[in-house]
Amino acid sequence: MEPKIIDHLFRHHSGKMISVLTRIFGLAHLEIIEDAVQDTFIKASISWRQQQPDHPEAWLTKAAKNRVLDIFRKLNTEKKHAPTIYQGTDTIAINELFLDTEIEDAQLRMIFTACHPKLDPKDRISFALKTVSGFSIKEISSALLTKEETIKKRLFRARKTIQQADLKFHIPQGKELSERLESVMEVLYLIFNEGFHSNKKEKLIREDLCGEAMRLCQMLLKNEHTRIPSSYALFALMCFHSARLDTKTSSENEVLDLKSQDRSQWHFPLIKLGNAMMNKAVADETTFSCYHYEAAIAAEHIRAARFEDTNWDKIVYWYQCLYTLQPMPSHLLTMAVICLQKEEAAKAKNYLDQITSDDFAQRAYLYYATLADYFNLINNKQEAIYYLDLALNTVTNILEKEYLEKKKLTLITGKS
Amino acid sequence: MKEFMMIFIGADYTDLGLSPEELQGRMGKWFAWGDKMEKAGVLRGGNALTPDIRRIVGENRTVTDLTSAEVKELVGGYYLVAAKDFDAVQEIAQDFPDYDLGGTVEIREIMVFDK
Repeated sequence: MEPKIIDHLFRHHSGKMISVLTRIFGLAHLEIIEDAVQDTFIKASISWRQQQPDHPEAWLTKAAKNRVLDIFRKLNTEKKHAPTIYQGTDTIAINELFLDTEIEDAQLRMIFTACHPKLDPKDRISFALKTVSGFSIKEISSALLTKEETIKKRLFRARKTIQQADLKFHIPQGKELSERLESVMEVLYLIFNEGFHSNKKEKLIREDLCGEAMRLCQMLLKNEHTRIPSSYALFALMCFHSARLDTKTSSENEVLDLKSQDRSQWHFPLIKLGNAMMNKAVADETTFSCYHYEAAIAAEHIRAARFEDTNWDKIVYWYQCLYTLQPMPSHLLTMAVICLQKEEAAKAKNYLDQITSDDFAQRAYLYYATLADYFNLINNKQEAIYYLDLALNTVTNILEKEYLEKKKLTLITGKS
Repeated sequence: MKEFMMIFIGADYTDLGLSPEELQGRMGKWFAWGDKMEKAGVLRGGNALTPDIRRIVGENRTVTDLTSAEVKELVGGYYLVAAKDFDAVQEIAQDFPDYDLGGTVEIREIMVFDK
């Protein structure tokens, strides 16, 4: 077996084992549980060197069961509260928790815990990647482009919040469910975006993050309580984006925009799956979520055989819907950019008038650059150059800076 | 293949004054037994029962709440297994870990009515 397969087996199994053991011992003992699971993998990697078991999954599950005894021992030695064992038959009940369906249930509980609104939004992602997805601190730090120390602090803080708030290890029900599910989907969306939108990262890390977000989203779709139109829409969105993940960078790891991507290389099975999920998302729903509209936009891009065939009117329409639901300045800017592309200056102006540079903080250069494009379109070169200079003053990324400088030169010399 | 129920009867561990170490040893044996049956593909399910008992008896529906300490023969749980006959289940039951604590395994066949 290749090392990579073992890697993922361990990673996925880690989340399963931590979740099941937490169900037995409670969130109060999370640290002991994580250590115990970690220890199992160390033991496995040593004993598997000689010979790999025929059924690695079963081997690991058995090892996790043995950990149950170790954790009991440890809790007793440390005089911490352990569940009471009345009879040998109690192990039948514990055994039951290691069945596949029960493992899925435990994992879903862990996802809800990791995405609990009481946790700091930043801590949620790190904690989910660690506890549910089995990423190491080092892997999380490189995936999020954050220092290992910071990740450690976030994990520590998350654990502390869980203890202090005495969070229950359960799947919320009734009214609470929809609100908590919102928060779960948001975290999965963010994990996916970390993978999809960051161009600085290794391709492998990007694929890992996107794959992980999709795996977790699939878990939501497997459970009847968390299988709702917006979770289907979120999964559809992930499918559409993932379908073109491979074409986002050239062989030299250069970033390619939608215009330059090789559309024949888009992954068809994922597009098909995305369409199927989208159908489920809209099956019996009259109100749509942000994920519905974002998926609709992604689908519109996918639908165009060539960049020139893109149905921009449709895309602006979906953005308009999205903006109604989620009034973010970035959506207005995007709509302005699309209008400029179609040389609809008046429409673009209408969107640009609704936003200011303050709306974009460090990314104000995007706003200035768009304004420059607008003035260029209406043949006001002076204003265009003025805004390009503002953009150049605020941009930090070197690639973006070069791009803007090239643009300015074209404007001044009149050559393209 | 027929289905049988192995019903486990015995005293409560907590009343036997087992040390944590002994307890863990017992649990280890139970896990190992469960794994063995699972591997052999005979295990069909099972449940553990908590030691709290509420009894309703007789015409007057007299209600008594009992704790495990008040009952010598406590049903602790059961396993459902698939096997050819009683002898085969008896063989499986050899690994029941608690005989030395005076535990009992009662084997009963699941009734199937559609023959």
